[in-house]
Amino acid sequence: MQHERITKKLLVEPAAVATGDIAFNLIVFFLVCASTQPDTGKRQDLPRSEQTQKQETKNQNIELALTRTRTVVSLNGDPVKTGELPARLRRLLEGKRSPEDRVVVVKSKPDVPYDHWIATTTLIQDLGASITIQREEERTVVVGQ
Amino acid sequence: MKFKRRAMKADVPSVAMGDIAFNLLIFFVILAKAQDDSHLQWQPAQAKQLQGFASSKVSVLIDRENKLHLNGKEIGQAQLAKSVGEILGSAPQGDRTVLLKVHKDATAMYYEAVIEAISEAGGDLVHILEEKQ
Repeated sequence: MQHERITKKLLVEPAAVATGDIAFNLIVFFLVCASTQPDTGKRQDLPRSEQTQKQETKNQNIELALTRTRTVVSLNGDPVKTGELPARLRRLLEGKRSPEDRVVVVKSKPDVPYDHWIATTTLIQDLGASITIQREEERTVVVGQ
Repeated sequence: MKFKRRAMKADVPSVAMGDIAFNLLIFFVILAKAQDDSHLQWQPAQAKQLQGFASSKVSVLIDRENKLHLNGKEIGQAQLAKSVGEILGSAPQGDRTVLLKVHKDATAMYYEAVIEAISEAGGDLVHILEEKQ
């Protein structure tokens, strides 16, 4: 006759007291994870100031002037509707192969908002051209007292 | 008759050590985050086809009030190029990323000078934007 050995298995459970702690730690952990999401953006290659000046003397670059008005920009002195700008720029860049020739000089009035500027410069970059900023220098002239 | 007093052991329960370590870790992570510019008020401009960028050594921000900040601390426009150059030091080309965060309504008078300063310091400029829906 065989005797069956009966073994009692104990049920091991985590202490219920710690549930609150565990929940709190999980909340904090996911909160920290969510707040460390990487930023999204666009890289922009700008030639350094000295290089730009040299290029300008060699080539006739495309000039784009921006004002506060979002609907119209000035391309090589001609007013162009913003909607027509991609096609006009594409036409101007068509014959230009080398990166030195595919430079667009962006001149902005001091009151041009950033979102308008970034939309225009992004468009230029998407067409395969590089941008150069030409700033209006401010000079204070003191007239004799 | 004298009763012997038994010395009571008052230890921190070793079971809680993992919890304590974890909480300390989170505390320092949050503290490190508080040194960045997440407390500043600005709204990014929108664009399409954006890339993800991990945090960088240098972050320049122009807030709602057109105030300039370098790594979360307010700075004057005249000192920006020098300070960015000092932080970047002699870092190699791929490691010279400068994150530029500009409030969408900031005007050219402010952001163009900043872009020029970053370019002067030899930084690789990245505009931080929001994906256009």
